[in-house]
Amino acid sequence: MRRRMWGLAVLLLLGMVVGGLLLGGPPAWLTGGDPTWARMVDDAKLRVGIDPSFPPFDQLDDAGAPAGFDVDLAQALAARWGMRVEIVPISFDSLLDAVKATRVDAVISAMPYDERQTRDVTYSQPYFEAGIRLVVRADSPIRDTAGLAGRRVAVEWGSAGDMIARRLQRSDEIALEPVLYDTPQDALTAAASGDVDALLIDQVSLRLAQGAGAPLVAVGPVLESNPYVILTPRKAPQLAAAVNEALIALSDDGTLAALADRWFGSAATPAAEEGLP
Amino acid sequence: MAFWLSSPFQRKRLLLAAGALALLGLLVLAAMLWRNWNAVALGPQHSVQTINPKVGIHTRLTDEVEPWKIKRTWEMVREMGSPWAVEYFPWAYVEGARGRFEWAHSDLVVAHAARQGVQVVARLGFVPEWARPAETTPLYLDAEHFADFGLYAAAFVARYADTIDHVIIWNEPNLALEWGFQPPDPVKYTEMLRVIYPMIKAANPNVQVLAGALAPTNAPPGSAEAMNDLDFLRAMYAAGAAPYFDMLAIHAYGWHGDPDEPADAGAINFRRAELMRAIMVENGDSAKQAMITEGGWNDHPRWTRAVHPAQRIAYTLRAYQIADAEWPWLDALCLWVFRFPWDQKSYQDYYTFVRTDFEPRPIYSEMQGYTAGELLPAAGANSAGDQP
Repeated sequence: MRRRMWGLAVLLLLGMVVGGLLLGGPPAWLTGGDPTWARMVDDAKLRVGIDPSFPPFDQLDDAGAPAGFDVDLAQALAARWGMRVEIVPISFDSLLDAVKATRVDAVISAMPYDERQTRDVTYSQPYFEAGIRLVVRADSPIRDTAGLAGRRVAVEWGSAGDMIARRLQRSDEIALEPVLYDTPQDALTAAASGDVDALLIDQVSLRLAQGAGAPLVAVGPVLESNPYVILTPRKAPQLAAAVNEALIALSDDGTLAALADRWFGSAATPAAEEGLP
Repeated sequence: MAFWLSSPFQRKRLLLAAGALALLGLLVLAAMLWRNWNAVALGPQHSVQTINPKVGIHTRLTDEVEPWKIKRTWEMVREMGSPWAVEYFPWAYVEGARGRFEWAHSDLVVAHAARQGVQVVARLGFVPEWARPAETTPLYLDAEHFADFGLYAAAFVARYADTIDHVIIWNEPNLALEWGFQPPDPVKYTEMLRVIYPMIKAANPNVQVLAGALAPTNAPPGSAEAMNDLDFLRAMYAAGAAPYFDMLAIHAYGWHGDPDEPADAGAINFRRAELMRAIMVENGDSAKQAMITEGGWNDHPRWTRAVHPAQRIAYTLRAYQIADAEWPWLDALCLWVFRFPWDQKSYQDYYTFVRTDFEPRPIYSEMQGYTAGELLPAAGANSAGDQP
C-alpha cells in the first residue's frame, strides 16, 4: 500500500512537471531565470533599441535626441519599474538582430508582428494597430465596405489600400470607383473635403490627419492588420511578462491614448468607432 | 519449414516481419499517392501577349516546393505580359553529391515556364559542400573546382537545350558577400568564365552565356566588402574576359532616382546601365547585346532606399518604356522580384509584384494594363506627381 502511494505521488509530480512544461514552457528556476530582467533590476536601467526615422513614433528632436511616441512609451514602462531608460539608436534592418543578440533589452520602434520570428524573440501584445481602415467623413452614412458600392473611394496609388480596393472590386464584387492619389496626404485631403465618399488608408496616416483636424473617422473592422509590438529577448520571460502587464495597465489608465494625442494631436472626431489609440 | 513455424516465438517473428512489410508497402503507396496528388498538369501551350517584347521579371521559385504554385507563378507572369523571366537554379540543389544530378524540381520549373510561353534566363551558382572547403559559404568557389561548376553548367544547358537559351554565370561577384566572403576579384572571375564558357558551348552551341550581373555600387577602392561595378567590368576586360561571354548581365536598381535621371558614375540609378554599355563599346564589344537581370524600385515605408508606391509604379512603367524605345542593345529588362514563396518580413517584400498568397499588388495590375496597351491610370490628374 505504501509503495502504491509513493508510486502515485511520483506520477502526480511527473504529471505536474510535464503539464507545466506543455502549458507555460520551462520554469525560470529550471532555465537559470531571466538574466535580462536580473541585469535590468541590478542596473535599474532599460536599454531600448529605436530606429529614429519613423515620425511620430521614432524621430530626432531639434537637439538631435531620440523622441516620439515610442520613446515616451519606453519612459512610461521604465517608470513603472523604477528604472531609467537608455535609448540605443539602431537602423531598422538591424533592430531584430539587436534584440536577438541582447544588445538591447527591448525594441520599441513601431515594429510589426512577425510570426516567423517567434522562435528568436518574444513579441508583446500590440500597443498600436497601424493596419488599413475604411475611413469616411464623420457625417457619412457609410459604415462598412458593403456600403462602398457606387461610391468614389480614394486610395494612395500602389499602396495596401489600393490593393484592398482592387480586391473588393474583384473578389467581393463591390462596384466601387477607385480614385488614385500619388500621396496619402492628397487622398486624406480629398476625403476630408468631400471630393470622394470614402478612403482606404493606414491608421498612422489617418491618425496624423485627425490630429491636424480632419473630420474623418475609421469605420468597420481593420481590413488588413499591422499591429506594432514590443520585442524582447527569447530567454527573458520575466521581462516579457512585465511588458505585457505594463501595456495593459498603460492602456487602462489612459496613458497610451494620451501618448497618441501628444504625438498625433487630439482627434476632433473619434480615432475609430472602437476607440483605437 | 514446419519445424521453423512450429516454434511460437518464431511464428511471432514471422507475423512481425509480415506486419512490417505490410506497413512498408502502405508507406510506399502513400508516398506514390502523395506524389500524384501533388502533380499538376502542364495544360495547353500559351504565348505571352505584350506590346513590349523586352518586359521581364525575376522570379524566385528556388524554394517553392508545391507544383501548383510553380504553375500559378508562370501563369501570372504570362498574364502580366512578361515574355522573359530570370530564375535561379542552384548547383548545390541539383548536384548535392558529385556526379549525381537531381533534376526533378528544375524540370518542373522549366516545363511550366515553357508551357506558359515564358523564356527563362537561368542563373547558375551556389556551390555544393563537396566542391568547397569546410567552413565556407555556398558562394565560395576555388579555381580547382571551376571545371566541376562547368560540368554542372554543361549538363544544365544540354538538358534544357530545347527550352533555355540563356544562362548567367554567377551573381554579383563584385560583392564579398556573393564571392564567399573573399575580396572581389575580377581576374579570378574571368578565369572562371575562361574555364566554364567552352564547356557550356560544347554542350549546347546555341546557348547565350551571360557574364557580369554586377551589383551597382560606388564602394571606395580597397573596400573589403565590394568593388565598384564599373571598375570591375573594366578589369574583366583587361583580364581578357571578352571571348568568354556572349552577353552582359546588368543590375539596374533605381533607389531614389527616377528612371530619367541621367547616368552618372558617382550615382546609383537606373541609367547606370548606360555606363556599363559604354564600357562594352569601349572594349570593342558593341556587337554583343545585354540584359538587365535584376533591378527596379522598392516601396517599403521605412527602408532608406525606398520610394513611395505611386513613384514605384510610375518609375517601373517608365523603365520598361526606356528599355523598349531607347536601348536597342538591350534584349530584356527583368526586374526584381515577382513573388517570394514566403514573406521575408523585410524591405525585400516591397520589391514584389505579387504577394506570397498570389494576390496581385497594384503594380502587377498596372503592368498588365501597360503590356495590354491600355492607358495608364490618371493618378496625376488627382494630385501632383510623376507620370510616365
